[in-house]
Amino acid sequence: MAEMWITMGPQHPMTHGLWTLRVKVDGETVTDTEAELGYIHRGVEKICESRDFTQITPYCDRLCYVSAMTWAHAYIMAAEDLLEAEVPERAEYIRLMAAEVQRLASHLMWLGAFGPDIGNLTLMTWCLRDREMFLDLLQELGGSRMHYNYPRVGGVKRDIPIGWANRLKAKVKLFENRINEYEMLLDESTIWLVRLQGVGYATAEDQINAGVTGPNIRAAGVNTDARWTNPYSVYDQVDWEPAVEKPTSIKGADCYDRYRVRMEEMRQSCRMLLDAIDKIPGGANTHYQPGDEMLITKAPTRAPEGATGFSTYECTRGVSNFYLQGGGDNRGKNPYRVSIRSPMFITIPYVAKTMIGYKVADIPAIMGSFDPCIGETDR
Amino acid sequence: MGTTITKEQNSYAANAAAQNLSARFSDAGITVEIIAHNAGKRFEFVRIICSPEQWRAVAKHLKNELGVNHCAMVTGTHYPEGGDRGWEVAYHMHRWPITDVEAHTMIVHSGESLEGDDIPMEFEIFINLPPGDSPAVPSVQDLWVGADWNEKETWDLVGIDFEGHENMHRVLNPHDSPVGFHPLQRQHKIRYHDFNEMYDDPQGFGRKPVDEGRVK
Repeated sequence: MAEMWITMGPQHPMTHGLWTLRVKVDGETVTDTEAELGYIHRGVEKICESRDFTQITPYCDRLCYVSAMTWAHAYIMAAEDLLEAEVPERAEYIRLMAAEVQRLASHLMWLGAFGPDIGNLTLMTWCLRDREMFLDLLQELGGSRMHYNYPRVGGVKRDIPIGWANRLKAKVKLFENRINEYEMLLDESTIWLVRLQGVGYATAEDQINAGVTGPNIRAAGVNTDARWTNPYSVYDQVDWEPAVEKPTSIKGADCYDRYRVRMEEMRQSCRMLLDAIDKIPGGANTHYQPGDEMLITKAPTRAPEGATGFSTYECTRGVSNFYLQGGGDNRGKNPYRVSIRSPMFITIPYVAKTMIGYKVADIPAIMGSFDPCIGETDR
Repeated sequence: MGTTITKEQNSYAANAAAQNLSARFSDAGITVEIIAHNAGKRFEFVRIICSPEQWRAVAKHLKNELGVNHCAMVTGTHYPEGGDRGWEVAYHMHRWPITDVEAHTMIVHSGESLEGDDIPMEFEIFINLPPGDSPAVPSVQDLWVGADWNEKETWDLVGIDFEGHENMHRVLNPHDSPVGFHPLQRQHKIRYHDFNEMYDDPQGFGRKPVDEGRVK
Protein backbone atom coordinates (compact mmCIF):
# COMPACT_ATOMS: atom_id res chain seq x y z
CA MET A 1 0.00 0.00 0.00
CA ALA A 2 1.21 3.49 -0.77
CA GLU A 3 2.45 5.58 2.11
CA MET A 4 0.83 8.92 2.79
CA TRP A 5 1.06 11.85 5.18
CA ILE A 6 -1.93 12.72 7.31
CA THR A 7 -2.18 15.72 9.60
CA MET A 8 -3.49 15.46 13.15
CA GLY A 9 -4.14 18.88 14.62
CA PRO A 10 -3.98 21.73 15.34
CA GLN A 11 -7.64 21.03 16.18
CA HIS A 12 -7.71 17.40 17.25
CA PRO A 13 -8.66 15.72 20.55
CA MET A 14 -5.32 13.90 20.62
CA THR A 15 -3.25 17.07 20.78
CA HIS A 16 -4.43 18.41 24.18
CA GLY A 17 -3.77 21.88 22.83
CA LEU A 18 -2.76 23.56 19.61
CA TRP A 19 -0.06 21.77 17.70
CA THR A 20 0.20 19.57 14.68
CA LEU A 21 1.39 16.02 14.44
CA ARG A 22 2.09 15.01 10.87
CA VAL A 23 2.00 11.26 10.54
CA LYS A 24 3.21 9.16 7.63
CA VAL A 25 1.16 5.99 7.49
CA ASP A 26 1.47 2.73 5.66
CA GLY A 27 -2.01 1.31 6.01
CA GLU A 28 -2.61 1.44 9.75
CA THR A 29 1.06 1.55 10.72
CA VAL A 30 2.90 4.76 11.55
CA THR A 31 6.15 4.93 9.59
CA ASP A 32 7.28 8.50 10.26
CA THR A 33 6.15 11.51 12.24
CA GLU A 34 6.89 15.19 12.50
CA ALA A 35 5.81 17.59 15.24
CA GLU A 36 4.98 21.19 14.45
CA LEU A 37 4.83 23.57 17.41
CA GLY A 38 4.57 27.31 17.89
CA TYR A 39 0.86 27.96 17.39
CA ILE A 40 0.54 29.85 20.68
CA HIS A 41 4.02 31.34 20.95
CA ARG A 42 3.58 34.51 22.98
CA GLY A 43 7.17 35.67 23.28
CA VAL A 44 7.23 35.46 27.07
CA GLU A 45 11.03 35.62 27.13
CA LYS A 46 11.02 38.90 25.22
CA ILE A 47 8.20 40.40 27.30
CA CYS A 48 10.01 39.49 30.53
CA GLU A 49 12.99 41.60 29.48
CA SER A 50 10.88 44.71 29.96
CA ARG A 51 9.28 43.75 33.27
CA ASP A 52 10.77 43.90 36.75
CA PHE A 53 11.30 40.79 38.81
CA THR A 54 7.92 40.84 40.54
CA GLN A 55 6.02 41.62 37.36
CA ILE A 56 7.43 38.56 35.64
CA THR A 57 5.67 36.14 38.02
CA PRO A 58 2.19 36.45 36.41
CA TYR A 59 3.66 35.71 32.98
CA CYS A 60 5.25 32.56 34.37
CA ASP A 61 1.89 31.54 35.86
CA ARG A 62 0.46 31.72 32.38
CA LEU A 63 3.13 29.50 30.89
CA CYS A 64 1.00 26.53 31.86
CA TYR A 65 -2.54 27.09 33.00
CA VAL A 66 -2.80 23.55 34.37
CA SER A 67 0.19 23.96 36.63
CA ALA A 68 0.60 27.68 37.25
CA MET A 69 1.89 27.43 40.81
CA THR A 70 4.87 25.22 39.99
CA TRP A 71 5.91 27.42 37.07
CA ALA A 72 5.78 30.56 39.17
CA HIS A 73 7.92 28.82 41.77
CA ALA A 74 10.43 27.68 39.16
CA TYR A 75 10.86 31.29 38.07
CA ILE A 76 10.98 32.73 41.56
CA MET A 77 13.76 30.33 42.55
CA ALA A 78 15.92 31.57 39.70
CA ALA A 79 15.13 35.18 40.66
CA GLU A 80 16.17 34.45 44.24
CA ASP A 81 19.40 32.94 42.98
CA LEU A 82 20.05 36.08 40.95
CA LEU A 83 19.06 38.58 43.65
CA GLU A 84 20.52 36.63 46.59
CA ALA A 85 17.30 36.44 48.58
CA GLU A 86 16.76 34.24 51.63
CA VAL A 87 13.40 32.56 52.15
CA PRO A 88 12.01 32.06 55.68
CA GLU A 89 11.33 28.45 56.59
CA ARG A 90 7.61 28.94 57.04
CA ALA A 91 7.41 30.37 53.55
CA GLU A 92 9.30 27.33 52.23
CA TYR A 93 6.70 25.04 53.81
CA ILE A 94 3.85 27.07 52.38
CA ARG A 95 5.48 26.97 48.95
CA LEU A 96 5.94 23.21 49.20
CA MET A 97 2.29 22.73 50.08
CA ALA A 98 1.11 25.06 47.34
CA ALA A 99 3.24 23.26 44.76
CA GLU A 100 2.08 19.82 45.85
CA VAL A 101 -1.60 20.82 45.83
CA GLN A 102 -0.96 22.11 42.32
CA ARG A 103 0.67 18.82 41.40
CA LEU A 104 -2.47 16.98 42.52
CA ALA A 105 -4.65 19.33 40.50
CA SER A 106 -2.40 18.99 37.44
CA HIS A 107 -2.23 15.19 37.56
CA LEU A 108 -6.01 15.10 37.96
CA MET A 109 -6.38 17.25 34.87
CA TRP A 110 -4.05 14.85 33.07
CA LEU A 111 -6.02 11.80 34.18
CA GLY A 112 -9.27 13.51 33.31
CA ALA A 113 -8.05 14.35 29.81
CA PHE A 114 -6.41 10.95 29.34
CA GLY A 115 -9.65 9.06 30.10
CA PRO A 116 -11.55 10.35 27.04
CA ASP A 117 -8.46 9.64 24.90
CA ILE A 118 -8.81 5.98 25.82
CA GLY A 119 -12.59 5.95 25.67
CA ASN A 120 -13.49 6.40 29.31
CA LEU A 121 -15.58 9.56 29.37
CA THR A 122 -16.74 9.17 32.97
CA LEU A 123 -13.23 9.74 34.24
CA MET A 124 -13.20 13.33 33.01
CA THR A 125 -16.13 14.38 35.19
CA TRP A 126 -14.82 12.54 38.21
CA CYS A 127 -11.33 13.99 37.98
CA LEU A 128 -12.57 17.52 37.41
CA ARG A 129 -14.80 17.17 40.46
CA ASP A 130 -11.75 16.34 42.59
CA ARG A 131 -9.55 18.90 40.91
CA GLU A 132 -12.04 21.57 41.90
CA MET A 133 -11.41 20.77 45.59
CA PHE A 134 -7.74 21.55 45.16
CA LEU A 135 -8.30 24.60 43.00
CA ASP A 136 -10.46 25.95 45.82
CA LEU A 137 -7.53 25.54 48.19
CA LEU A 138 -5.20 27.36 45.81
CA GLN A 139 -7.78 30.07 45.29
CA GLU A 140 -7.70 30.77 49.01
CA LEU A 141 -3.95 31.33 48.73
CA GLY A 142 -3.64 33.31 45.52
CA GLY A 143 -7.07 34.83 45.10
CA SER A 144 -7.93 33.40 41.70
CA ARG A 145 -8.78 30.00 40.40
CA MET A 146 -6.08 29.36 37.83
CA HIS A 147 -3.34 31.99 37.92
CA TYR A 148 -2.28 32.69 41.45
CA ASN A 149 0.68 35.10 41.28
CA TYR A 150 1.46 33.74 44.73
CA PRO A 151 5.23 33.46 45.32
CA ARG A 152 7.36 36.56 45.76
CA VAL A 153 11.10 37.01 45.61
CA GLY A 154 12.08 36.12 49.18
CA GLY A 155 8.82 34.55 50.33
CA VAL A 156 5.12 34.36 49.60
CA LYS A 157 2.40 36.95 49.05
CA ARG A 158 0.31 36.07 52.09
CA ASP A 159 -0.03 33.43 54.77
CA ILE A 160 -2.32 30.41 54.60
CA PRO A 161 -5.76 31.48 55.84
CA ILE A 162 -7.17 30.30 59.19
CA GLY A 163 -8.76 26.89 58.71
CA TRP A 164 -6.94 26.22 55.42
CA ALA A 165 -4.94 23.43 57.05
CA ASN A 166 -8.08 21.66 58.26
CA ARG A 167 -9.73 21.93 54.88
CA LEU A 168 -6.57 20.65 53.22
CA LYS A 169 -6.40 17.68 55.59
CA ALA A 170 -10.03 16.75 55.04
CA LYS A 171 -9.73 17.03 51.27
CA VAL A 172 -6.48 15.11 51.05
CA LYS A 173 -7.85 12.29 53.19
CA LEU A 174 -10.98 12.12 51.07
CA PHE A 175 -8.86 12.15 47.94
CA GLU A 176 -6.58 9.35 49.11
CA ASN A 177 -9.61 7.07 49.08
CA ARG A 178 -10.64 8.39 45.69
CA ILE A 179 -7.26 7.40 44.20
CA ASN A 180 -7.97 3.81 45.24
CA GLU A 181 -11.41 4.11 43.71
CA TYR A 182 -9.99 5.29 40.39
CA GLU A 183 -7.42 2.55 40.34
CA MET A 184 -10.07 -0.07 40.97
CA LEU A 185 -12.15 1.39 38.20
CA LEU A 186 -9.33 1.59 35.69
CA ASP A 187 -7.22 -1.45 36.45
CA GLU A 188 -10.20 -3.74 35.99
CA SER A 189 -11.33 -2.10 32.77
CA THR A 190 -10.38 -4.31 29.84
CA ILE A 191 -10.45 -1.39 27.40
CA TRP A 192 -8.08 0.61 29.58
CA LEU A 193 -5.59 -2.26 29.83
CA VAL A 194 -5.76 -3.30 26.19
CA ARG A 195 -5.17 0.22 24.95
CA LEU A 196 -2.34 1.08 27.35
CA GLN A 197 -0.34 -2.09 27.83
CA GLY A 198 2.34 -2.90 25.31
CA VAL A 199 2.33 0.42 23.44
CA GLY A 200 4.62 3.42 23.58
CA TYR A 201 7.75 1.82 25.01
CA ALA A 202 10.50 4.23 26.09
CA THR A 203 13.64 3.30 28.02
CA ALA A 204 15.24 5.42 30.71
CA GLU A 205 18.53 6.10 28.92
CA ASP A 206 16.82 7.00 25.66
CA GLN A 207 14.55 9.39 27.45
CA ILE A 208 17.20 11.22 29.46
CA ASN A 209 19.39 11.56 26.38
CA ALA A 210 16.43 13.09 24.57
CA GLY A 211 15.80 15.42 27.51
CA VAL A 212 12.63 13.76 28.79
CA THR A 213 12.33 14.07 32.55
CA GLY A 214 9.85 13.87 35.40
CA PRO A 215 7.21 11.16 35.82
CA ASN A 216 7.89 9.83 32.32
CA ILE A 217 11.40 8.78 33.24
CA ARG A 218 10.41 7.52 36.68
CA ALA A 219 7.98 5.19 34.93
CA ALA A 220 11.01 3.58 33.27
CA GLY A 221 12.36 2.34 36.59
CA VAL A 222 14.67 5.04 37.98
CA ASN A 223 13.63 7.25 40.86
CA THR A 224 15.40 10.39 39.61
CA ASP A 225 13.48 13.42 40.78
CA ALA A 226 14.79 16.99 40.92
CA ARG A 227 13.22 17.31 44.35
CA TRP A 228 16.09 15.22 45.71
CA THR A 229 18.79 15.26 43.02
CA ASN A 230 18.90 19.06 42.97
CA PRO A 231 17.37 19.64 46.39
CA TYR A 232 15.42 22.82 47.03
CA SER A 233 12.79 23.98 49.49
CA VAL A 234 12.18 21.61 52.44
CA TYR A 235 11.62 18.35 50.59
CA ASP A 236 14.36 16.78 52.70
CA GLN A 237 12.34 17.43 55.86
CA VAL A 238 8.98 15.99 54.92
CA ASP A 239 7.92 12.40 54.56
CA TRP A 240 7.84 11.17 50.95
CA GLU A 241 9.48 8.89 48.43
CA PRO A 242 9.85 9.58 44.73
CA ALA A 243 7.22 7.63 42.82
CA VAL A 244 8.81 4.96 40.61
CA GLU A 245 7.40 2.14 38.55
CA LYS A 246 8.85 -1.17 37.36
CA PRO A 247 8.72 -1.13 33.56
CA THR A 248 6.95 -4.14 32.12
CA SER A 249 9.46 -4.85 29.38
CA ILE A 250 13.13 -4.64 28.51
CA LYS A 251 11.96 -2.08 25.94
CA GLY A 252 11.15 0.30 28.80
CA ALA A 253 8.00 1.81 30.19
CA ASP A 254 4.72 1.56 28.32
CA CYS A 255 1.69 3.82 28.61
CA TYR A 256 0.35 1.78 31.49
CA ASP A 257 3.53 2.32 33.53
CA ARG A 258 3.30 6.05 32.99
CA TYR A 259 -0.28 6.01 34.18
CA ARG A 260 0.74 3.98 37.26
CA VAL A 261 3.59 6.29 38.20
CA ARG A 262 1.37 9.37 38.15
CA MET A 263 -1.17 7.67 40.38
CA GLU A 264 1.62 6.84 42.82
CA GLU A 265 2.93 10.38 42.59
CA MET A 266 -0.47 11.69 43.66
CA ARG A 267 -0.33 9.42 46.72
CA GLN A 268 3.13 10.74 47.57
CA SER A 269 1.91 14.34 47.24
CA CYS A 270 -0.90 13.56 49.68
CA ARG A 271 1.59 12.03 52.09
CA MET A 272 3.83 15.07 51.80
CA LEU A 273 0.96 17.49 52.38
CA LEU A 274 -0.28 15.72 55.51
CA ASP A 275 3.24 15.69 56.92
CA ALA A 276 4.05 19.30 56.01
CA ILE A 277 0.90 20.59 57.66
CA ASP A 278 2.08 19.09 60.98
CA LYS A 279 5.65 20.34 60.66
CA ILE A 280 5.14 23.90 59.47
CA PRO A 281 7.03 26.34 61.72
CA GLY A 282 4.70 28.71 63.54
CA GLY A 283 1.79 26.29 63.36
CA ALA A 284 -0.74 25.66 60.62
CA ASN A 285 -3.52 27.56 62.34
CA THR A 286 -1.65 30.80 62.91
CA HIS A 287 -2.10 33.62 60.45
CA TYR A 288 0.69 36.11 59.97
CA GLN A 289 0.02 39.42 58.30
CA PRO A 290 1.37 39.89 54.76
CA GLY A 291 4.94 41.10 54.89
CA ASP A 292 5.67 39.44 58.23
CA GLU A 293 9.23 38.21 58.56
CA MET A 294 7.91 34.65 58.89
CA LEU A 295 6.60 34.94 55.33
CA ILE A 296 8.95 37.13 53.36
CA THR A 297 12.36 38.74 53.65
CA LYS A 298 13.56 41.89 52.03
CA ALA A 299 15.27 41.29 48.73
CA PRO A 300 17.07 43.65 46.38
CA THR A 301 15.12 44.69 43.30
CA ARG A 302 18.09 45.30 41.03
CA ALA A 303 20.56 42.73 39.83
CA PRO A 304 24.17 43.62 39.04
CA GLU A 305 25.49 43.25 35.53
CA GLY A 306 26.97 39.85 34.83
CA ALA A 307 25.10 38.13 37.66
CA THR A 308 23.22 34.98 36.72
CA GLY A 309 20.46 32.97 38.34
CA PHE A 310 19.53 29.41 37.51
CA SER A 311 16.89 27.11 38.93
CA THR A 312 16.08 23.44 38.51
CA TYR A 313 12.53 22.68 39.53
CA GLU A 314 10.44 19.53 39.37
CA CYS A 315 7.31 20.70 37.65
CA THR A 316 4.40 18.35 37.18
CA ARG A 317 5.52 17.32 33.68
CA GLY A 318 9.24 17.19 34.22
CA VAL A 319 12.15 19.37 35.14
CA SER A 320 11.84 23.01 34.24
CA ASN A 321 14.75 25.43 34.29
CA PHE A 322 14.95 29.19 34.35
CA TYR A 323 18.10 31.08 33.52
CA LEU A 324 18.23 34.81 34.29
CA GLN A 325 20.88 37.41 33.62
CA GLY A 326 21.09 40.62 35.63
CA GLY A 327 21.26 43.85 33.71
CA GLY A 328 23.12 46.35 35.87
CA ASP A 329 22.20 50.01 36.15
CA ASN A 330 21.18 50.68 32.58
CA ARG A 331 18.47 48.02 32.72
CA GLY A 332 16.85 49.39 35.88
CA LYS A 333 14.90 46.73 37.73
CA ASN A 334 14.61 44.50 34.67
CA PRO A 335 16.64 41.41 33.88
CA TYR A 336 18.81 41.44 30.78
CA ARG A 337 17.72 38.03 29.59
CA VAL A 338 15.19 35.44 30.76
CA SER A 339 15.42 31.97 29.33
CA ILE A 340 12.91 29.22 29.99
CA ARG A 341 13.34 25.50 29.60
CA SER A 342 10.05 23.76 29.20
CA PRO A 343 10.09 19.97 29.67
CA MET A 344 7.27 19.45 27.19
CA PHE A 345 8.98 21.39 24.40
CA ILE A 346 11.65 18.68 24.38
CA THR A 347 9.30 15.79 25.13
CA ILE A 348 6.77 16.27 22.34
CA PRO A 349 9.28 15.82 19.46
CA TYR A 350 10.66 12.76 21.28
CA VAL A 351 7.21 11.24 21.78
CA ALA A 352 6.38 11.85 18.13
CA LYS A 353 9.35 9.67 17.19
CA THR A 354 8.45 6.89 19.67
CA MET A 355 5.15 6.39 17.86
CA ILE A 356 6.87 4.99 14.80
CA GLY A 357 5.93 1.35 14.37
CA TYR A 358 2.68 1.50 16.29
CA LYS A 359 -0.82 1.77 14.87
CA VAL A 360 -2.61 5.03 14.20
CA ALA A 361 -5.13 4.14 16.89
CA ASP A 362 -2.32 4.03 19.48
CA ILE A 363 -1.34 7.66 18.90
CA PRO A 364 -3.78 9.21 21.42
CA ALA A 365 -2.76 6.69 24.07
CA ILE A 366 0.96 7.29 23.59
CA MET A 367 0.68 11.06 23.35
CA GLY A 368 -1.71 11.35 26.28
CA SER A 369 0.42 9.17 28.54
CA PHE A 370 3.27 11.71 28.31
CA ASP A 371 0.98 14.50 29.54
CA PRO A 372 1.48 17.21 26.91
CA CYS A 373 0.78 20.85 27.74
CA ILE A 374 1.09 23.34 24.92
CA GLY A 375 1.07 26.52 26.98
CA GLU A 376 4.51 25.79 28.36
CA THR A 377 5.73 24.23 25.11
CA ASP A 378 5.23 27.33 23.00
CA ARG A 379 5.93 29.95 25.68
CA MET B 1 12.01 11.67 55.46
CA GLY B 2 12.62 12.39 51.84
CA THR B 3 15.92 11.30 50.41
CA THR B 4 18.32 14.07 49.43
CA ILE B 5 21.84 14.95 48.36
CA THR B 6 24.01 16.33 51.14
CA LYS B 7 26.19 19.38 50.86
CA GLU B 8 29.33 17.27 51.29
CA GLN B 9 28.40 15.02 48.40
CA ASN B 10 27.64 18.03 46.22
CA SER B 11 30.90 19.72 47.10
CA TYR B 12 32.87 16.51 46.51
CA ALA B 13 31.27 15.97 43.10
CA ALA B 14 31.82 19.57 42.02
CA ASN B 15 35.49 19.42 43.00
CA ALA B 16 36.05 16.07 41.34
CA ALA B 17 34.44 17.23 38.10
CA ALA B 18 36.33 20.54 38.12
CA GLN B 19 39.67 18.79 38.74
CA ASN B 20 39.00 16.30 35.99
CA LEU B 21 38.19 19.09 33.55
CA SER B 22 41.14 21.23 34.59
CA ALA B 23 43.55 18.31 34.21
CA ARG B 24 42.27 17.57 30.72
CA PHE B 25 41.93 21.14 29.45
CA SER B 26 44.39 23.19 31.50
CA ASP B 27 46.69 23.79 28.50
CA ALA B 28 43.85 24.84 26.22
CA GLY B 29 42.96 28.01 28.11
CA ILE B 30 39.53 26.86 29.21
CA THR B 31 38.28 28.34 32.47
CA VAL B 32 36.76 25.90 34.94
CA GLU B 33 35.22 27.33 38.11
CA ILE B 34 33.17 26.02 40.99
CA ILE B 35 30.32 28.42 41.73
CA ALA B 36 27.76 28.21 44.51
CA HIS B 37 24.15 29.24 44.03
CA ASN B 38 23.14 32.38 45.94
CA ALA B 39 19.88 31.10 47.34
CA GLY B 40 18.17 27.94 48.50
CA LYS B 41 20.59 25.23 49.58
CA ARG B 42 23.55 27.10 48.05
CA PHE B 43 24.70 24.03 46.19
CA GLU B 44 27.75 24.19 43.97
CA PHE B 45 27.95 23.67 40.24
CA VAL B 46 30.70 23.69 37.64
CA ARG B 47 31.01 26.59 35.24
CA ILE B 48 33.08 26.18 32.09
CA ILE B 49 34.02 29.09 29.83
CA CYS B 50 35.39 28.07 26.47
CA SER B 51 35.66 29.20 22.88
CA PRO B 52 33.52 27.82 20.04
CA GLU B 53 36.53 25.92 18.66
CA GLN B 54 36.99 24.09 21.95
CA TRP B 55 33.32 23.37 22.56
CA ARG B 56 33.05 20.02 20.75
CA ALA B 57 36.03 18.61 22.67
CA VAL B 58 34.59 19.81 25.97
CA ALA B 59 31.18 18.39 25.14
CA LYS B 60 32.58 14.98 24.23
CA HIS B 61 34.59 14.94 27.44
CA LEU B 62 31.52 15.86 29.49
CA LYS B 63 29.46 13.14 27.92
CA ASN B 64 31.99 10.30 27.79
CA GLU B 65 34.17 10.92 30.86
CA LEU B 66 31.91 12.75 33.30
CA GLY B 67 28.65 11.02 32.46
CA VAL B 68 26.64 14.16 31.69
CA ASN B 69 23.47 12.70 30.26
CA HIS B 70 20.96 15.54 30.13
CA CYS B 71 21.21 18.70 28.05
CA ALA B 72 18.71 20.89 29.85
CA MET B 73 18.72 24.14 27.94
CA VAL B 74 20.55 26.27 25.41
CA THR B 75 20.39 30.03 25.79
CA GLY B 76 21.64 32.61 23.35
CA THR B 77 22.14 36.21 24.41
CA HIS B 78 22.83 39.23 22.23
CA TYR B 79 25.12 42.02 23.51
CA PRO B 80 25.05 44.80 20.91
CA GLU B 81 26.50 47.48 23.22
CA GLY B 82 30.05 46.97 22.06
CA GLY B 83 33.02 45.36 23.72
CA ASP B 84 34.62 42.16 22.54
CA ARG B 85 31.65 39.99 23.44
CA GLY B 86 28.84 40.27 20.95
CA TRP B 87 26.99 37.07 21.70
CA GLU B 88 26.99 34.42 24.35
CA VAL B 89 25.69 30.87 24.18
CA ALA B 90 25.02 29.16 27.51
CA TYR B 91 24.50 25.42 27.73
CA HIS B 92 23.05 24.04 30.95
CA MET B 93 23.57 20.35 31.55
CA HIS B 94 22.80 17.87 34.28
CA ARG B 95 24.30 14.59 35.32
CA TRP B 96 21.77 12.25 36.86
CA PRO B 97 22.18 8.59 37.86
CA ILE B 98 19.94 7.10 35.20
CA THR B 99 20.49 3.68 33.64
CA ASP B 100 18.23 1.23 31.88
CA VAL B 101 16.67 -1.49 34.00
CA GLU B 102 15.60 -5.05 33.34
CA ALA B 103 11.92 -5.75 32.96
CA HIS B 104 10.02 -5.83 36.26
CA THR B 105 12.88 -4.27 38.21
CA MET B 106 13.64 -0.76 39.32
CA ILE B 107 16.46 1.29 40.75
CA VAL B 108 15.63 3.14 43.93
CA HIS B 109 18.57 5.42 44.67
CA SER B 110 19.03 6.69 48.16
CA GLY B 111 20.54 10.13 47.65
CA GLU B 112 22.81 10.00 50.68
CA SER B 113 24.56 6.81 49.58
CA LEU B 114 25.43 7.88 46.03
CA GLU B 115 29.14 8.07 45.28
CA GLY B 116 31.54 9.27 42.60
CA ASP B 117 30.05 9.97 39.19
CA ASP B 118 26.59 8.93 40.35
CA ILE B 119 26.20 12.11 42.39
CA PRO B 120 23.97 14.54 40.47
CA MET B 121 25.84 17.59 39.22
CA GLU B 122 25.00 20.69 37.29
CA PHE B 123 27.19 22.10 34.52
CA GLU B 124 27.03 25.53 32.97
CA ILE B 125 29.01 26.18 29.81
CA PHE B 126 29.48 29.71 28.51
CA ILE B 127 30.69 30.17 24.96
CA ASN B 128 31.55 33.77 24.14
CA LEU B 129 31.35 34.92 20.55
CA PRO B 130 32.75 38.10 18.98
CA PRO B 131 30.39 40.81 17.69
CA GLY B 132 29.16 40.33 14.17
CA ASP B 133 26.18 39.38 12.09
CA SER B 134 26.78 35.66 11.95
CA PRO B 135 27.39 34.14 15.39
CA ALA B 136 28.06 30.41 15.15
CA VAL B 137 28.93 27.54 17.47
CA PRO B 138 29.31 23.85 16.69
CA SER B 139 26.21 21.80 17.33
CA VAL B 140 26.10 18.96 19.87
CA GLN B 141 22.93 17.49 18.47
CA ASP B 142 24.66 14.17 17.81
CA LEU B 143 25.81 13.83 21.43
CA TRP B 144 22.55 14.67 23.18
CA VAL B 145 19.30 14.26 21.31
CA GLY B 146 17.86 16.72 23.83
CA ALA B 147 20.10 19.46 22.40
CA ASP B 148 18.35 19.13 19.03
CA TRP B 149 15.21 21.14 19.67
CA ASN B 150 16.94 23.43 22.16
CA GLU B 151 19.35 24.48 19.42
CA LYS B 152 16.51 24.85 16.92
CA GLU B 153 14.79 27.18 19.36
CA THR B 154 17.95 29.20 20.00
CA TRP B 155 18.52 29.68 16.28
CA ASP B 156 14.86 30.55 15.75
CA LEU B 157 14.64 33.15 18.52
CA VAL B 158 18.20 34.48 18.84
CA GLY B 159 19.80 33.71 15.50
CA ILE B 160 22.80 31.70 16.68
CA ASP B 161 23.94 29.40 13.90
CA PHE B 162 24.66 25.83 15.01
CA GLU B 163 27.24 24.38 12.63
CA GLY B 164 26.53 20.78 11.73
CA HIS B 165 22.96 20.83 12.99
CA GLU B 166 20.79 18.71 10.74
CA ASN B 167 17.26 19.71 9.82
CA MET B 168 17.38 23.23 11.25
CA HIS B 169 14.02 24.97 10.92
CA ARG B 170 11.72 27.43 12.64
CA VAL B 171 10.00 25.95 15.69
CA LEU B 172 8.25 28.77 17.55
CA ASN B 173 8.09 31.54 14.97
CA PRO B 174 5.94 31.01 11.87
CA HIS B 175 7.64 28.93 9.21
CA ASP B 176 7.39 31.79 6.72
CA SER B 177 9.11 34.35 8.97
CA PRO B 178 11.55 36.53 7.00
CA VAL B 179 15.08 35.20 6.72
CA GLY B 180 17.22 36.83 9.38
CA PHE B 181 14.33 37.69 11.69
CA HIS B 182 15.19 36.51 15.19
CA PRO B 183 13.05 38.36 17.74
CA LEU B 184 15.29 38.04 20.79
CA GLN B 185 18.03 40.06 19.15
CA ARG B 186 18.29 43.47 20.75
CA GLN B 187 17.51 45.58 17.70
CA HIS B 188 13.93 44.32 17.88
CA LYS B 189 12.18 46.47 20.45
CA ILE B 190 9.15 45.28 22.29
CA ARG B 191 6.34 47.46 20.95
CA TYR B 192 8.31 50.29 19.41
CA HIS B 193 9.97 51.86 22.40
CA ASP B 194 12.70 50.50 24.53
CA PHE B 195 11.87 48.91 27.83
CA ASN B 196 12.19 51.96 30.07
CA GLU B 197 9.77 54.16 28.12
CA MET B 198 7.22 51.41 28.01
CA TYR B 199 7.64 50.94 31.69
CA ASP B 200 6.72 54.55 32.40
CA ASP B 201 3.79 54.55 30.00
CA PRO B 202 2.46 51.04 29.70
CA GLN B 203 -0.94 52.05 28.32
CA GLY B 204 0.45 54.42 25.73
CA PHE B 205 -1.40 57.52 27.04
CA GLY B 206 1.64 59.71 26.48
CA ARG B 207 1.79 59.08 22.77
CA LYS B 208 2.98 61.82 20.53
CA PRO B 209 1.25 62.89 17.29
CA VAL B 210 4.07 61.35 15.33
CA ASP B 211 3.12 57.98 16.78
CA GLU B 212 -0.41 58.03 15.35
CA GLY B 213 -1.25 54.86 13.52
CA ARG B 214 1.66 52.92 14.90
CA VAL B 215 0.98 49.79 16.87
CA LYS B 216 1.45 50.15 20.60
